[in-house]
Amino acid sequence: MKPEELLEQLKQKFGDAITEGEVKGAEVCLTAAPGASWEVCRFLRDAGFEYLNCLSGADWISRLEVVYDISSLRHSTKVHLRVSLGRENPSVRSVTDIWRAANWHERECYDLFGVRFEGHPDHRRILLPEDWVGFPLRKDYRDERMVPYTDYGMEEKAPKAEGEKAAPKAAAAPKPPSASGAAGS
Amino acid sequence: MDRIGETMEEMYVNMGPQHPSTHGVLRLLLKLDGEYITDCVPYVGYLHRCHEKIGENRTYTQIIPYTDRLDYLASMSMNFGYVLTVERLMGLKVPERAEYMRVILAELQRIASHLIWLGTFGLDLGNFTIFIYCFREREMILDLFEAVSGQRLNYSFYRIGGMPMDFTENWVADCQSFLAWFKQKLPEYDALMGDNVLFQKRVQGIGVIAPEMAVDYGLSGPMIRSCGIRWDLRRNDPYSIYDRFEFEIPVYEGRDVWARYLVRRREMAESARIVEHALAQLPAGDIMAKVPKSIKPPAGQIYCRTESPRGELGFYLISDGSTKPYRYKVRSPAFVNLSAVPEMLKGCLVADVVAVLGSVDIVLGEVDR
Repeated sequence: MKPEELLEQLKQKFGDAITEGEVKGAEVCLTAAPGASWEVCRFLRDAGFEYLNCLSGADWISRLEVVYDISSLRHSTKVHLRVSLGRENPSVRSVTDIWRAANWHERECYDLFGVRFEGHPDHRRILLPEDWVGFPLRKDYRDERMVPYTDYGMEEKAPKAEGEKAAPKAAAAPKPPSASGAAGS
Repeated sequence: MDRIGETMEEMYVNMGPQHPSTHGVLRLLLKLDGEYITDCVPYVGYLHRCHEKIGENRTYTQIIPYTDRLDYLASMSMNFGYVLTVERLMGLKVPERAEYMRVILAELQRIASHLIWLGTFGLDLGNFTIFIYCFREREMILDLFEAVSGQRLNYSFYRIGGMPMDFTENWVADCQSFLAWFKQKLPEYDALMGDNVLFQKRVQGIGVIAPEMAVDYGLSGPMIRSCGIRWDLRRNDPYSIYDRFEFEIPVYEGRDVWARYLVRRREMAESARIVEHALAQLPAGDIMAKVPKSIKPPAGQIYCRTESPRGELGFYLISDGSTKPYRYKVRSPAFVNLSAVPEMLKGCLVADVVAVLGSVDIVLGEVDR
């Protein structure tokens, strides 16, 4: 199926639910309304897109996004589908009944972004422990155990006010060998 | 399978997280009906370090060493996938010689990775000799890698825009003599494993997954090719210069552990063929493109996939035009392949779990990220 044809079909069938759509080479980039995302996926699956490559999320601060990368084993057309969700209580219908591959991907997306997938058969955290608090890949996630990364050797070049110069260095000085040693092993 | 309907006392057995045949820290919760498995729940994440969060806080170049630690048995392939993604996002063209070097190293890495798989798979099934044989050849590949990159496991050798160093003197000749040696040794593996009737009987007909199911689960690499589906990204969605080489894509219809053995066994020979071709055609010239000092891909996003030894390795990057990626996601093949293990184990015997799990070829560094 040609990407242009597919985009045309999708626009005809879903109308306003496809808020953006463009063709980039062999890829169709779509943005769909959260209410219609499952139907769009169902349609794509029936149109021969039987392979879910990847399902991931992104945090755009004002909103969250779930991203589906879908392709087929029979032709080279690919679909890059994005669904925007509100930051409070983000939820979207699960596509596990369309592609089984979505099962673990959705669990991972829930684990790291806190997106709820309605109708998921096994809605649990996957990579983090079950009692973990918060969703680490959100941009506002903070944890006091997180050590901020410093470019050692670079800080001398950064312009600093006279008074500040000594203080941050003294605080940072004992850290590098132990911190980097622990991360490397 | 008939036995499953009968009323017997069900039992739960934990396999792992500390178990030699889980190839790392993986926990499988097995639900048993006598000796048969009725259900299996894998618990992953013991090696989780939020690789993706780390990536968001590093510059594009600084991420390269972290990608080594994803699949630590195929670091070159991980580097390759990552730098290719950034280059595509930037629209960079890599010099010819660097492309050849990349393919040569990535294919040698595929051989090394499959050798580890074959060795440890033999070990899982009680064949210790094959392990020693495989590690002998892998050692030679590691020596070649050490000569060119200075490292033996985590190479960090690919750069955005090319390669940092050229092959050392005599490297090409050394590599050729290794390939000649390796080709002689391949039949030895058959003699030790493949031609062994005991081994065949042990692995045939277990861990079966239907082709439709394999596609549905998103399996890739040798896992999908052992279901009779000719799907290899080097051929189906060519990247780098893979369209210039002649090689076959081994496909077997068996769907079982035996078919996966055959696919990987033949892939080693095909990879050796690609390396041979590439060495013969290796052009002279630059190995590094002109790359700005601080790498700032234009704002945009990309999903780029490559064929790692375990299957489809995808990197999803969102750039906001700064020096660090806004979002950095790894689609690891072993993670997706592992998600189909419960499907393969249903109806198997407890004794077959190790063989089935071994045939998936998981690397937990990549599964847990």
